[in-house]
Order: sequence, then C-alpha cells, then structure tokens
Amino acid sequence: MEFLNYFGAVFEPVAFGLLLIGTIGGLILGATPGLSPTMAVALLIPFTFHLAPVQGLILLGAAYTSTVAGGAVSAILLKIPGAPANIATTLDGHTMAQKGEGARALQLSFLASAVGGVIGVLLLIFLTPYLAQWALAFGPSHLFWLAILGVTVIGSLDSASVVKGLLSGCIGLWLATIGFDDIMGAQRFIFHPALGGGINIIAALIGLFAIPQVITMFAKGRRPDETEVIAVQKHSIMAAVREIIRRPRALSIGTITGAIIGLIPGVGGQIAGLVAYDQAKKFSPERAKFGKGHSEGVIAAESANNAMVGPSLVPLLTLSIPGSPTAAVLLGGLLIHGIFPGTDLFDNHPDVAWTFINSMLIGQVLMCIFGLYVASLAARVAQVPQYVMAAIVLGLAVFGSYSIQSSMGDVYVMAALGIMMYFLERFGFSAAPLVLGLILGPIAEANFIQGSMIAEATTGMGSYFFGGTMNIALIAIVIASIAYSVWMELRSRRYISKEEIYG
Amino acid sequence: MSTPSLPRLQHICASGAIAAIGIWITWLSYTQEPADAFLFPRLISTVFVVLALWTFGKALLGWTKVGNGLSTVALRRLAPGLLVALVYLFWGAETLGFYTAGAIAFFLLLTLYDPAPHNEAKTWIKRAVMTAVYVAVMYALFAMLLKIYTPREIFF
Amino acid sequence: MKKLIAGVALALTTLTGGAALAEYPERPIMMMVSYGAGGATDFQARIVTMTAGNEDALGMPIAILNKPGAGGRVGWNWFATQAEADGYTLGAYNIPHFIAQSVKGGVSYSADSFEPIANWGADPAVFVVAADSPMNSMDDVVNYAKENPGKLTFSGAGLFVGHHIAALQLEKAAGVKMAYIPTKGGGAAAMKAVIAGEVMGGVNNLSDAYRAEQAGNIKILGVFDLERSSFLPDVPTLKEQGYDIDDASVNFRGVMVPKGTPQEVIDVLAAKVPEMFRNDAVAKKMEAGGSPMHIMTRDEVKKMWEARETTLKDLLAGL
Repeated sequence: MEFLNYFGAVFEPVAFGLLLIGTIGGLILGATPGLSPTMAVALLIPFTFHLAPVQGLILLGAAYTSTVAGGAVSAILLKIPGAPANIATTLDGHTMAQKGEGARALQLSFLASAVGGVIGVLLLIFLTPYLAQWALAFGPSHLFWLAILGVTVIGSLDSASVVKGLLSGCIGLWLATIGFDDIMGAQRFIFHPALGGGINIIAALIGLFAIPQVITMFAKGRRPDETEVIAVQKHSIMAAVREIIRRPRALSIGTITGAIIGLIPGVGGQIAGLVAYDQAKKFSPERAKFGKGHSEGVIAAESANNAMVGPSLVPLLTLSIPGSPTAAVLLGGLLIHGIFPGTDLFDNHPDVAWTFINSMLIGQVLMCIFGLYVASLAARVAQVPQYVMAAIVLGLAVFGSYSIQSSMGDVYVMAALGIMMYFLERFGFSAAPLVLGLILGPIAEANFIQGSMIAEATTGMGSYFFGGTMNIALIAIVIASIAYSVWMELRSRRYISKEEIYG
Repeated sequence: MSTPSLPRLQHICASGAIAAIGIWITWLSYTQEPADAFLFPRLISTVFVVLALWTFGKALLGWTKVGNGLSTVALRRLAPGLLVALVYLFWGAETLGFYTAGAIAFFLLLTLYDPAPHNEAKTWIKRAVMTAVYVAVMYALFAMLLKIYTPREIFF
Repeated sequence: MKKLIAGVALALTTLTGGAALAEYPERPIMMMVSYGAGGATDFQARIVTMTAGNEDALGMPIAILNKPGAGGRVGWNWFATQAEADGYTLGAYNIPHFIAQSVKGGVSYSADSFEPIANWGADPAVFVVAADSPMNSMDDVVNYAKENPGKLTFSGAGLFVGHHIAALQLEKAAGVKMAYIPTKGGGAAAMKAVIAGEVMGGVNNLSDAYRAEQAGNIKILGVFDLERSSFLPDVPTLKEQGYDIDDASVNFRGVMVPKGTPQEVIDVLAAKVPEMFRNDAVAKKMEAGGSPMHIMTRDEVKKMWEARETTLKDLLAGL
C-alpha cells in the first residue's frame, strides 16, 4: 500500500499540469499516423532534461499510456493503425465508423482502454516481484513456440478462406526476411536500396491498411454524394458504459491476454491486441459478427493493448531490462537523471518510482475522460466526403511514413505494399494476417537461431525445444489452436452455400 | 457479380502471378549464400509455394470462394486517381518537395473526384481553399509540432 | 523541362554555395544512430548533443535519427550510400563494430567511407555472470571451458561488434573453445539472457553491466581494457588476470560525416564538436547514467581508426 502515500505528488500543480499536457499531447501524437508510442516518448525525452526526475517521468508515463489509446482514434476513423497494437481495433472499429457508429466505437475503445490500463497498472503495483520471475521464464525456445502459436492464429484471422489467410501470412513472413539478417548480418532480398533496412513495420501498417482504402474510394468514381452521406449517430456516454458492462467476456479476455502477453520481453505489445481479438472471437457465441462492426472486437483489442502497458514495465523497473522498445526509451529518461531501475529505484527513490506509477494510473483515467469528451466530435470525421477523405489519407500516409525515420525508402515501401494490398484484397486476401506474419517472422527466426546455437552447445536440439513443462504446454496450445481452426473450417463448410459467398 | 466467368479468369491470373512470385523467391532462397542465413527464407518460401499452387489449382477449377475481382467500371474509375497517387508517391514528393507535391496531388484528386460541377467558379474556389487549409494543417503538424525536415528539393 | 529546372537549381546552389558555407549551420542538423532508441549509443548520443543549439556550440539543435538493425549494418550502409554529404547529416560511429563488419565483408562501407569528427565516449566490454553463478573469476570461466570445450555458452550483442571481438580475444588468449551466442536486440537482450540463466555468462557494455550489478542481478568478472575503470575500481582487467588482451574491443563512440562532405564544414565541426562534448552539463548527465566519457579530436580519432583496422584485420584473418 506504499503507493498510496505518493498520490499527493501527482496532484501538485506542476506535476498535474504536466500530466495533462502529457495526456492530451499523447492522444494527439498517438492519433497521428506514423507516430508509434515509442517515437512519441522519444520525442518528449529532450523536454525532460530540464525537469526534475519525478516531473519528467510523469510526462513520459502519461504520454506512453495515452499514445497507445490515441492510436485507436486513427485506427477507427481513418483505418490507419497508429502502432501494431491497434491493428485489431481497425477490424471492427473502422467498420463501425463507416456505419456512422464512430462515436460509439471511440467511446467503447476509450472505456475499454481505461479498464484494461488501470488493471494493468494495478498488476504492476501489487504483483511486480512475482511477475518479474514470469517475465524471465521465457527463453528462446519458449518465445519460438509462442511465435508459432501466433502463426496458427493467422489462418482464422479476418479472412474468409483459411488457405488465403495462411498464404497472406506467408507473404508477411517472407517480407519480414527482406533486409539484413539480424544475427548473421547477411543481405537478403535487397532488390532496391530502399529495402536496405528491411520493411519498417509502421510504414507497412500505413501502406497495407490506408492505401487500399484510398483506392477503394477512387473506385467509387466521381458521382454525387447524396446517396452516401453517413448519418453520424449520437451515442451517449452512459450507453457506452452500460455496453461495456454488458460485455464482460470480451473485456476480461482482452485485459487478461494483454496483461500476460505484455509481460513477455520482446514480444508483448505488438501482438497483444491481435491475440486478444482472436481469443474473444473464438469464445464468443456471436463470432460471425466479428469483422462486421461488432463491439466485442473493439473492446477486446483496446482493453488488451492498454492492459499491456503496466506489465510491460515490470522487467524494466525490477531487473533494469527494457522488455519493449518503449521501455528502452523510458530507461533513457531515468538514466538521464542518474536513477537506475531495479532495487535501487524502489529502495532509494521511492518517490520517483511510485509517483511515476501513480501518474500512469491517473493518466489512464484522464485519458478516458478526454477521449470520451472528443469522441462524438471526432466521429464527425466520417461525414467528410469520401473524395476529400481519400486525398487527406493519401497525404497523411506519405508524411506519416516519411516521419518514422526521415526516409524516402519507407514512403516507397509503404506505397508499393499498399497498392499490392489493394489488388490482393480484391481476390480475397486480407491485411491483418499479412501484418501478423510480418511481426512474428523476426521473433520466430531470431529465437530459433539463438535457441539452436545454445542447444548445440549444451543439451541438443530435441530436449531444448521439446523438453520442459513450458515447452510442452506451449506445444499443446499450438496443437489445440490448429485443431480448433480445422474444426471450425469443417463445420462452417456445411452451411455456407455458394450464393452467400459470391455476395 | 453479373458475369461469374470474369472473376474466375481474374482469379486464375492473380493466383498464377502469386504462384510465380512464390516460385521465384523459393528459387532465390535456395540459391543464395550463406546457407545459414537463408534457412528461414527457405522454410517460409517452401510453404508459400505450396499454398500458392493450391490457390492457383482452386482458381483453375473454379473453386475460388472469396474475392470479387475487379470490374471494368471500377478499374476505369480508379485509374486516374491511382495515376495521380503513383506519380505523387514515387516521384513528386521527393522531386518537388513534400508540401508542393502534396498540394498538387490534393488539388488534382479533388478535381477528379469532387462531384461538384466544373464550370462554376465557386467549385474552384472551394477546392483551392480546401487545399490551402490542408497544406497549412500538414505544415503545422509535421513541420512545426514534430519538427520533421521533409525533402524540399526544387520547391518547398 | 526537368533538366532546365535542375540546371537553374544547380546554378543557384553554386552561386550561393560560398555564402551558405560561411553560415553553416543554418538549419537543424540530423544525426543518424545505427541502434534503436533507448540503447546505450542512442542514449549517449542524445546527451552529448543536447547542448548543440547553444550559441557557443553549433547554434543549431541536433535531432537523433535511429536506423537500427543487424548490429548497426543497416544504419551505416544507409549512411555510406544514401546520406547526403552536406554537413546536415551526421552519423554516430561505434568502433570496433563498423570496422570489423567491413573487414568481414558483405557491407557497402569501410573506414574510408567516412570522415571522423570527434569521439565522445569509450565503453569497455566486461565479462558478466549471473549473481548466483558458481564462477567468481575469469580463471573459473576458463577452467570450465577447458574441461567442457565448446559447451560454455555466453551471450553478446551480435556478430562482429565489440562484444564479439572481446569474445574472440578471450578464446584466443586463453586457448579455449566456447559457444558465443549473439542476440537480437542489442546489449539489453544479451544481459537478459545472462540474468534469466539462458546462458552461463556474457560479454556486455560496462555501463549496462555496472547498472545491473548495482541492481544485484549479476557479477562482473573482468574488464576487456588496458586499465581498470573508475566506475568499477575493484574489478581487475583481463590482463591482470593473466590473459593477453588489449583494448581492441573497447566501444569508442563518436561523430562522423560521410565522405565528400565539404572540407569547410568538416573544419567547423571538428573545431566545435569536441568543445560541445566538454560542456559541464553533458559530463554530469553522462556520469549520472554510468557512461564513461573519452573526448578525442578529429586527428586523434583518425589515428585510432587506423590502429584498430590493423588489429582487427589480424584478429579476424583466421575466420
């Protein structure tokens, strides 16, 4: 209960002012295409040079929590996921916005984010010592199986055909091998200098999701808009609260999945949303509605990606090991003030540690309040005529992908992938499994190679990858996941007739 | 779909192209050195080729279930916009400068897809104002707030 | 038309060229770091450039641009082949990393592709084991490796980076065969492998190891340098423990520009950048973060690069 003593510090005028700036700024940065939470936090580091350690960390903590949630805004309204964490939000959220339910989607996403986020931070406060051991328990072989588990999800994710889903995943896995191989340093498939750094995941996200949508709008042609004006429905905040309460399954699956996956160093944040979405879909009796603007999809995805924020800092705060790129940037913010995370932080600077954690707790609530406040306003974006929207999204895609690392190469990669994706989508492929392959490929590869090097020097491949309780448990889950997909595919074949499919 | 034969032919071409790419990258994966670094690409491309050939086979037999293909109408409508986008993305942005190219592309797309009549001055003023606002917002967000130095070659 | 515009533009730049150089720098400068945000190089680069905007330094701020991947190869390849040599794109170098990679081959750069400006830090590699490891000195490590050839696993940040050079030197000097495990994700991932017990030991940065030791997670058994570090006065060097290992693996960090940058610009930078590093505020932040500073001027760095290249060519010849 030590953390309660430090709540006062969060509400001091300067600290609270910074918290507000961090939250609002974070929402704006998060909603800007191309700016991932990691980059947003890195952008703010120079400002913390001039602040006291506690104040600097409040700013960074607030920005971290709200950029993750802010990513949902562009995911829902523009179909541009701000970061890998928001991919799953686009699947149902954007469909809802197109139906005029943008306000509802945004309100649900902010409420779900706040619930997930607060629970995540509470886990960080109460269970840190136990969680730290859990975070360390994942070695290369376990991370490899975990990535394979992610691959098995690919076939069933947002795709009507399992084979095409898997093929999309394979395209993503292959695209991920482009560039310098991370361990050996060999050059692979570098057909153009723009590919030297490999395919940047944020640029790929912008291209794969935004560009097909722009071209789809072009395909509607130049015709009067009257038939297409979307009535943006008003949606009261109370109704959104009631809906969240009525969906405890999606909310709890999202929060639990996000918190568990967030802990695992190097994997967490990127796939938490997608895995939670997939699980929520599998456990829902209304699974056929997923992908067509179903609120459970938004709730599961957004509660997961904010639930991961707290646990993802556990390895950093206890062991001084940054478990995610954003945690690495926060480490820099601590070191600049001469504070070393680890036992030193909680023993010698409890004021810094607990004020930082508390500020994330308050930040979640503030983020939710602001989010709800702007939701109905922001949802009006859906009323912008399609042709204007297409032109704006195209420009944002260019600026956004350039700003990732000031590189024209990323713009070309974004454009090429986006145009390719439009045509693939016309033939029944979809972007979500492709992106999942792109994310999981490097994780699977690096851990497989590292694991096999350790295995060859010690116990041998067989016992290293297949021995031990955790390996066996993970393999069992992988097999169960595949069996489930096959069963669902066989079952659905029985009642889908040809007319339905050619719609 | 009015004519089911059109998507079938399209599906054959599309999946055939994907299968061809699959074969090409598999060939690349198995011939490049060092072999250690290409272990993973080999694995992936093998699965890739199997799945791609499967899809191709299904398309040949007309068993493809999902994907509506492209209609000629849609192609004709999207062609001018796609052309503007291609020129903007691959040439304009870098050569003319981000803001100049962005403004031109924005204005052209409005002209191409805005259903308002072309022969009224009001329409053109509206388009010009929208373009100006758009460029101003982009400049405020990326250049002033985020301090990103974009290519500004010949023009700004 | 395009040719005409290009021609006019070219004429304009030539005309204004002389005047523009006199005012260098007239807009913010970018510095490429070939490791991810939050890594040791990135963290230090942000600190040492934080005063660049001051009037007594460059008068213009320096923004950090991360291009991580493949142990730095991605960033340096970009810097050598695509970065503009106009003085507004600086790069951070890590020695021995980029020289070792260019000696090994498969990249588009070598020491001749870059012009050094100044050096800000020198971070030696250290040998670490988990806090509960039975090994307490380098002799314990080497004895274990002698009894179990090729079975002692130890982590490092990648192939042909400082950690790998240190590992090769250790194997050569002690005459043993060990299993070096390169990790993806830099020194932090390599350190995690040690703390989690995935490997038996590891080579890591002194600055990161110092922090992990303070947190009680690891023991530091030896420093791969010529003398002990002021951060770790109690830890002996490898040489003191009887292994003939010099400072070839010490990670020197500094600023460089691509070849072809105008000489006037190089002169301005070479004069002002070392002064910028000597700022008190910089020294204080570096000290607080546990990062050892080592300021060298352009001429000193040039000599250091040459010396390293010779050593590394010998060391890597057999591989």
